[in-house]
Amino acid sequence: MKNEKLKGKDLINVGIYTAIYAVITFAIAMLGYIPIFMPLLCVIGPIIAGIPFMLFLTKVKKFGMILIMSILMGILMLLTGMGYYSLIIGIVSGLLAELVYKSGKYKSSSKAVWTSGVFSIWIWGNYIPLFTNIEGYFSTRQDYGQEYIDALTRLMPTWMCPTLLAAAIISGIIGGLVGKAILKKHFIKAGIA
Amino acid sequence: MSQGVMQSDVGNHGLVLDPRTKLLLLITMAVFVLGGTGTAALWFLTPSLCILPLVLLLSAKKFISAVLYLTVYLATYSVFHFVGPKTTGVPNFLLLGTAGIITRFMPSVMMGIYVVSTTTVSEFTAAMQRMRVSERLVIPMSVMFRFFPTVADEFSSINAAMRMRGVSFAGKNAGKMLEYRLVPLLTCSSKIGEELSAAALTRGLGGDIRRTNVCEIGFRVLDYAMILVCIVPFIMLILRWFEVSVF
Repeated sequence: MKNEKLKGKDLINVGIYTAIYAVITFAIAMLGYIPIFMPLLCVIGPIIAGIPFMLFLTKVKKFGMILIMSILMGILMLLTGMGYYSLIIGIVSGLLAELVYKSGKYKSSSKAVWTSGVFSIWIWGNYIPLFTNIEGYFSTRQDYGQEYIDALTRLMPTWMCPTLLAAAIISGIIGGLVGKAILKKHFIKAGIA
Repeated sequence: MSQGVMQSDVGNHGLVLDPRTKLLLLITMAVFVLGGTGTAALWFLTPSLCILPLVLLLSAKKFISAVLYLTVYLATYSVFHFVGPKTTGVPNFLLLGTAGIITRFMPSVMMGIYVVSTTTVSEFTAAMQRMRVSERLVIPMSVMFRFFPTVADEFSSINAAMRMRGVSFAGKNAGKMLEYRLVPLLTCSSKIGEELSAAALTRGLGGDIRRTNVCEIGFRVLDYAMILVCIVPFIMLILRWFEVSVF
């Protein structure tokens, strides 16, 4: 099975798990309207989405599946108006995640936890415009009201930028651990993972 | 919305547009209405783009969605512009926030509904093949769009079942919310996924030979008109950038 091209079944799996991952991410992202939750999305998102991601990793046996998922999430972010940063970041972090998981020969579960951490970097891409171009970002969001803008600006000083990156990775790892525990508790027994 | 999302038999297509044109429309809406690019300078742009989904929905005979869109959009728009400035503090925050989010998201969501309800998966695949997009992206993407409503459907059924057992925010087992919802969702999704791939493989997906497609897609007069409508705001945006750098 190794070093083979991606077959139809693999590609369908990518599609299905990306759909689940995206639905969960969007459901969580709805919380982002409350200003305090905006930076917290970086933490909550990867932890909860880590569960389907770990199940997805058990289906990954060939090179490219994680990368495709990352690109698809980037395209979805582009289509929902979050900007193109997460697509660019997603291609890089998806490739890195792919390499991390490949180094464990696509079956090491401790590597899978690390993969989940690295993969979660894409979510950080959504925050980049907040730091590089804060006036531009809010000039497009005037209709949220001045209060929202003020609250968010207070929450987002420049040092938050690396902090959010670290938060995304760490919560991705936590999500991976949670996912691993749930896999063990439910899915392996049921023969799904 | 769960019926008719990229299904194989869409009865009326309304204005027959090429899937590529629809994609361009969707991107234009995402950039200018949802992303809000350049709205400060081009104030008339957003409202005029917001009319597009209405026209398209009417042409596809989706009267209920069209009327709903028109009423909700007009209501929130007038709240935003007439009631909003008169309030302050927390009510202002809530009011402007809700109205702002609805006026921002609704046009694009409506455009999205129009696109997925008038495009079949085959047409989408055909268009993507024409654009020379790799099959490795096309297959996951079409599966994903096909799968969104399934996930939503399953999730609401699981939600109902769990509420009956008292696993909800209001119930006594609130702590188990996440696990008791995600695990069944993942279990049934992966089962459905296996069936889906079995069905697709029997139809020759993932074979070595290039697949044929019966859908006739291509640009017609109407497509060129729509593309023109989409390109105009982009040109205006570029012109504006140029102007800013000159002065």
